[in-house]
Amino acid sequence: MNHLPQAWGRPRDDVYGPYDASYLQSGHPQTHTKSPIVTGTSVLAVKFQDGVVIAADNLASYGSLARFTDVKRLRPFNSKCIVGFGGDVSDMQYLDRLLNSLDVVENYSSEGHSLNAKNLHTYLSKVMYKRRSEINPLWNQMLVAGLDGDDKPFLSSIDLLGTTFSSPTLATGFGAHLAQPLLRKVADDESKVAGVTKERAIEAVKECMKVLFYRDARSLDRYSIAIITKEGGVELKEDEQLEGQSWAFAETIRGYGRTQEV
Amino acid sequence: MDSLLGSNPTLASNPAYSFSKAPYNSAADNKEHAFYPYTDNGGSTLGITGEDFCIIAGDTRSTSGYSINTRYSPKVFRIGGDDETGEGAHIILSVVGFAADGTALKERLNAIVKMYKYQHGKKISVKACAQRLATILYGKRFFPYYVTAILGGLDEDGKGALYSYDPVGSYEREQCRAAGAAASLIMPFLDNQVNYKNQYLPGTGEGHDLEPRQALPLPRHDVEQLVRDAFTSATERHIEVGDGLQMLVMTKNGIEELYHPLKRD
Amino acid sequence: MSSPFAINGGACVAMVGKDCVAIACDLRLGLQSLTVSNNFPKIFSYGDVYLGLTGLATDVSTVSDLFRFKVNMYRLREERQISPQTMANLVSTSLYEKRFGPYFVSPVIAGINHTTGKPFICGFDSIGCIDFAKDFIVSGTASDQLFGTCEGLWEPDLEPDDLFETISQALLNAVDRDALSGWGAHVYIIEKDKVTKRLLKGRQD
Repeated sequence: MNHLPQAWGRPRDDVYGPYDASYLQSGHPQTHTKSPIVTGTSVLAVKFQDGVVIAADNLASYGSLARFTDVKRLRPFNSKCIVGFGGDVSDMQYLDRLLNSLDVVENYSSEGHSLNAKNLHTYLSKVMYKRRSEINPLWNQMLVAGLDGDDKPFLSSIDLLGTTFSSPTLATGFGAHLAQPLLRKVADDESKVAGVTKERAIEAVKECMKVLFYRDARSLDRYSIAIITKEGGVELKEDEQLEGQSWAFAETIRGYGRTQEV
Repeated sequence: MDSLLGSNPTLASNPAYSFSKAPYNSAADNKEHAFYPYTDNGGSTLGITGEDFCIIAGDTRSTSGYSINTRYSPKVFRIGGDDETGEGAHIILSVVGFAADGTALKERLNAIVKMYKYQHGKKISVKACAQRLATILYGKRFFPYYVTAILGGLDEDGKGALYSYDPVGSYEREQCRAAGAAASLIMPFLDNQVNYKNQYLPGTGEGHDLEPRQALPLPRHDVEQLVRDAFTSATERHIEVGDGLQMLVMTKNGIEELYHPLKRD
Repeated sequence: MSSPFAINGGACVAMVGKDCVAIACDLRLGLQSLTVSNNFPKIFSYGDVYLGLTGLATDVSTVSDLFRFKVNMYRLREERQISPQTMANLVSTSLYEKRFGPYFVSPVIAGINHTTGKPFICGFDSIGCIDFAKDFIVSGTASDQLFGTCEGLWEPDLEPDDLFETISQALLNAVDRDALSGWGAHVYIIEKDKVTKRLLKGRQD
């Protein structure tokens, strides 16, 4: 399991042996991000027949402390795309400022068109790859959701190493382990996307947010969700409450701390 | 004294140094690097040439650790095309290893091959492109592109040409090569089925007098079938290989793309 | 590269055919990259059962001797030959006895059960976990290469002669891509009433 942002960008334990974290206590001033501080957990997204749904909860954790409970991790770009951020929150805010200034520059330019989600994804991947090549990474994994140049649904991922990939459904962090298998039941192939309705996609994402809240200790039941379509543009809701929770299953859990009837 | 020399222990304890920056013992001071700028995205690639064609194939799975990032992330690319689709390209490249480096390398080579055409008014030869790719890779000798590349096309005589690389640019022209996670599984199979290694003509003698079976360039149909067999076998036994098989076939008529599903487990 | 499994090098493979099985090994013994001997067979016979052992050479010798002793004792007590299945359980339990200080070997078993007449092969890890395969078993420093060649060449219900060709090609081509294996091979084709042992010269480099 490598879902914790603290484990991102580290050599794999199973290949290189246990990670030596002793450097983290060094007394010297740090100029590079060696580890994330305040972090956000999973981001989920699903493509459907004429758009994309993307969601992330509103929590920013400080280690295991639920530090900030009203942090918007879905950032709109030029009112046509959404970037969902996982990982370090300060790096997210830096990238958001960078994207806003890019948007301003683009709006002043005399070019007749604006940047779409595909362009934005390319831009972000170059920023991230450049920073990793300077060994000074921005400690995030991001999902870019929106429409491409042909107004087709677009969804793609970028991480702190500059690795990019695209899929009908995507999830970062813990969601990559827990939510992605569930989301793949909705659309496991690009050819299936055309058969997924908006309602089905929203339902799947909400269900996964619930599953993540049950099992991801760094998650929250207040979340943001955005729907991007050609017709409706970006519908972003930033203060949603998880609905239909049932903790009945908790009673059936045995082992760990709960070994006997109370 | 300490306040003058700061916290450099070598300077503080050894007055023989008159310059401000004494060499310090890197072995003792240096810690393992905090951020590791590489990862392995798994997958495998394979290239085989024939008399008048060249095939490069790769599976389309992308992994990190035990997770599948996506089931469709191509590793084989057209180089030197006129537009985004790669139409008009005359060289094919596969990259396997660290996908971000792979993408960066592909884009750099593509730009260079295009610039060559604009500046010289002709397409670059595969031979020259192969040498250029080696130079690009060696240029990052001390911070390498963590990829195994295979470059293919048709040479000046119209014959299939294939070049394989290591991450720092050492390269060689070959008939066939497997690279990536399942290279160790595929390569001996290719030795046997493409170059007929360890095969002898029956009745031509005893022991070392036996005549080896001569390897002849295979027809395209046979090569395509071998590639499919190699990848279904690799998919069966390697967890990082699977989902789909993408094949680019280069002939004098241009580049053809083929796709076959592989097991997704 | 100081894994005890990869110091001496070596490769072994077993395959199932139609009413027959085959087992084959290379002949190299090395110390890291230095070859010490080109006559170090890794297959040992115990009556009708054949055991292939790759890994640390000293453990290969020790374990093969240990099983010669154990199988002899079995034969004296039971007054019959050991079956491949019983041998598999004997190997498994013997290895697990050394769970926290294992022999550094990866055993392979091949044989025909004379009660049922059915071919049998299996493999183990160094602490006795059995892998009952229906097709083939590989072990040694060339196991990756063997997986590739076997998966590519093997097919069900091969006749003894075809099985010999298949296992030989699988082994020879695999060890040629492994620096620590090769230098000749032994191949056993085991049929109900006949065992054929062949020496393959292979590449001597």
